[in-house]
Amino acid sequence: MSTSHAKAAEKFLRDQEYAKWHDNTFFGVRVKRDIMAREVPEWETLREKASQIKMHTLSHLDKYLSQFADNAEKNGVIVHWAEDADEFNETVLSILKENDVRKMVKSKSMLTEECEMNPYLERHGIEVVETDLGERIIQLLGQKPSHIVMPATHLSNDEVGDLFEEVLGSDKGNHDPTYLTYCARLSLRNQFLTAQAGMTGANFGVAATGDIVVCTNEGNADMSTSCPDLQISVIGLEKIIPDYECLAVFQRLLARSATGQPTTVFTSHFLKNRPGAKPMHIIIVDNGRSRWLADEKHRQTLKCIRCGACMNTCPVYRRSGGYSYSYFIPGPLGINLGMLRDPKEYSGNMSACSLCLTCQNVCPAKVNLADQIYMWRQQLPDFGTENRQKEMICKAMTKVMDSDTLYNKLTSMAHLANGVPGFLINSSLNPWAKEHKMMKFPPRPFHSIIKDMDKQK
Amino acid sequence: MSSRENILERCRNAFNETYERPNLDDINPLTFKDPLQQFQATSEAMGSRVINVKPGEDVNSIIRDVYPDAMTFASALPEITIATINPDTVESAKDLNKTDVGIIRGEFGVAENGCIWVKQTMKERAVCFICENLVIMVPGSKMFSNMHEAYPHITFNENGYGVFICGPSKTADIAQVLVTGAQAARSVAVFIMPE
Amino acid sequence: MKVGLFIPCYVDAIYPNVAMATYKLLRSLGVDVTYPQGQTCCGQPMANAGFESEAIPLARKMEDMFKGYDYVVAPSVSCTAFLRINYPDLIGKDHKCSIASKAMDVVEFLHDVLKVKSLPSKFPHRVSLHNSCHGVRELHLSSPKEIMTPTPFNKIRDLLELVEGIEVVEPERPDECCGFGGMFSIEETAVSGEMGKSKLQRHINTGAEYITGPDSSCLMHLAGVAAKEKAKGANGDDIRFIHVVEILAAGL
Repeated sequence: MSTSHAKAAEKFLRDQEYAKWHDNTFFGVRVKRDIMAREVPEWETLREKASQIKMHTLSHLDKYLSQFADNAEKNGVIVHWAEDADEFNETVLSILKENDVRKMVKSKSMLTEECEMNPYLERHGIEVVETDLGERIIQLLGQKPSHIVMPATHLSNDEVGDLFEEVLGSDKGNHDPTYLTYCARLSLRNQFLTAQAGMTGANFGVAATGDIVVCTNEGNADMSTSCPDLQISVIGLEKIIPDYECLAVFQRLLARSATGQPTTVFTSHFLKNRPGAKPMHIIIVDNGRSRWLADEKHRQTLKCIRCGACMNTCPVYRRSGGYSYSYFIPGPLGINLGMLRDPKEYSGNMSACSLCLTCQNVCPAKVNLADQIYMWRQQLPDFGTENRQKEMICKAMTKVMDSDTLYNKLTSMAHLANGVPGFLINSSLNPWAKEHKMMKFPPRPFHSIIKDMDKQK
Repeated sequence: MSSRENILERCRNAFNETYERPNLDDINPLTFKDPLQQFQATSEAMGSRVINVKPGEDVNSIIRDVYPDAMTFASALPEITIATINPDTVESAKDLNKTDVGIIRGEFGVAENGCIWVKQTMKERAVCFICENLVIMVPGSKMFSNMHEAYPHITFNENGYGVFICGPSKTADIAQVLVTGAQAARSVAVFIMPE
Repeated sequence: MKVGLFIPCYVDAIYPNVAMATYKLLRSLGVDVTYPQGQTCCGQPMANAGFESEAIPLARKMEDMFKGYDYVVAPSVSCTAFLRINYPDLIGKDHKCSIASKAMDVVEFLHDVLKVKSLPSKFPHRVSLHNSCHGVRELHLSSPKEIMTPTPFNKIRDLLELVEGIEVVEPERPDECCGFGGMFSIEETAVSGEMGKSKLQRHINTGAEYITGPDSSCLMHLAGVAAKEKAKGANGDDIRFIHVVEILAAGL
């Protein structure tokens, strides 16, 4: 009965102390988000507007995308379009080759993770340096992000300290986060100064003006693009919004939802290259998105602004960790994106939801994440990934429930189960018994008691 | 067909229905009676030091007082006479590295979140990020309550870059401990300028 | 006003006392309530597990069974929410679906329809309130912490506070899921168990004698976890479980 997620989660939970720390840490971010949101009286209105803007933009995406590209080109930007991950990676490589780039610094981008750009470029002899501290830690460890906004939060300062001692030569035993951050600063400073290219992702692309908008706390997107001669910005096509009036709505929602701050420290607008530098490149990436857009049931996932709030609030994510999901994006968002990407491959995450619905309440763009998980579950037989055992149980249940005589017979005999020896009921064949002691059945079900009462009247 | 055409074609055919653009005039956003006061409070909460410059005061001497140990100052602003390096005339952005204090001008502030709009008026915008400490001078008379009020006022020049900055560079990437001074300036002083 | 009592399968079989308390409470308030025989299950477990089609015959049966009633009242938020929110999609296309708009959890019915302002019951105990997810986020019995409602509310608490002698407390994270989730609890046993254990601990931390809530399935899960913990020698055995209606009907 166990899915890939259930198995991984079971392993995660074996270290109880760590699991509790993980849960509390991410719930703490959710609490910060609540406090920040409560300071904005129009919060729920903002969420509704954000959702409506996204639906409007998505239903006119061809128009807004062309407008965005045309305006960027007017600004002097070279705009590229990539249909899939391969075309994206090849485009990046060819820009880098043309410009003799040997080292590229970059800010955080889930899109480059999605396309597995770093390993591709490294295979072609380009050194890629992540500059978001969390991403850098993950990169040095050879891991993948465990969260889309806080990619290394699953690690302790001791783990980071040990890593930095080894690769950055930090002081032995000094695992103070302030000190470690300073060590990373010195090391990354050198990278910023010696790279020939800087890459940013994009939180938003503004159609009316053609700018790429990037939100960071560290300033690493700005550091990445203010020293090297070449700037490349990459954007998934769902990140386009119409104009600044719309942007104001999202800017106000993003950081409050993501980390419980009123804003990120930097909200950077890139319209073109720096004076004297090489022309800026923007790569617009599809990689499945336009296909998902046509999926009436699941297109809402494209409203997502990647704040990560659904992960922080998800009781399952907090108690199973980012790596328990088989898709590279975890949590409620990752469950849905994985299914859009490849339902056969990623159905193993479908169980990771108790349908508590908190994710869709925190989502700043009102993506109906849990409703979609419910819908995906209905679709599993289409992909041949439904759980046969679960299906058998459900079919058997319906057989009983659809016949009141069968139902009445079974419920009136249920108390006999109380007499079955505990070692049989509480055996490993009964998954309920893993975490629960079996309930006691009363001698008579309600329908039988009230039947007698009604007769007496 | 090119990738552009293919992608746009698929987007065009994806929807049977269309969704209207919502009216954004009825958000009724949070406003403040005294946006300047709120801006100061938010800026401090976000880790900036706020200094009210009085009419006739010399910012150069204030900067020296605030950063008594600083040796190098980077600015392209004519009134910053203590500048030791000029982002307009450096050969490369890298030359600004390790400058103790960068001094730039912001155009306006936003009360709800402490953001200051900074337009790239200098040749090398690295001055906004690469210095150890950053001074942003912003006119106290130009304060907006929220981002809805602020966004219509952002402008760009031919350099095509602008940024909202709110406080020093931060990270909580190591064990969720908040540390100021990640990659960009480790401290920010906001100078609120008189008329 | 004719009220049909809907007793979900597991309440019928495992918690007849909850069903009886609901019946007696409604009667005592002068409600014309009857229990149509032949009820079984609403189909939610199958649908949530991904087999919606298995729920369709059951939904049709429910619709027919409660045709002549003005309200369908149940002591179970999750099943009520399934009737109200999912039935229109399940059977509404080719079958009349009047049950969706008539379905009410007993808490809503008492609070919003009968507008109960006093109760004769007494329950001199400290109880920790368990706000079930579907009560919070689908039936809106209380405002979830994550939604920025101008004035937070809790209809369950409002009703409980009419009971003499009661002290109502809420655990930390008052609307975090307890980890039941139907098939979730047997498919994701480890996470479900962990959620249950931490929920249980937070309830215990309130110092309450009872955990009470509007949904027996959450309580069944928590009680099962508590008993298992006790068997393992951990604490959690002293706290007791009671459905909200059993308290509201206490002494009837």
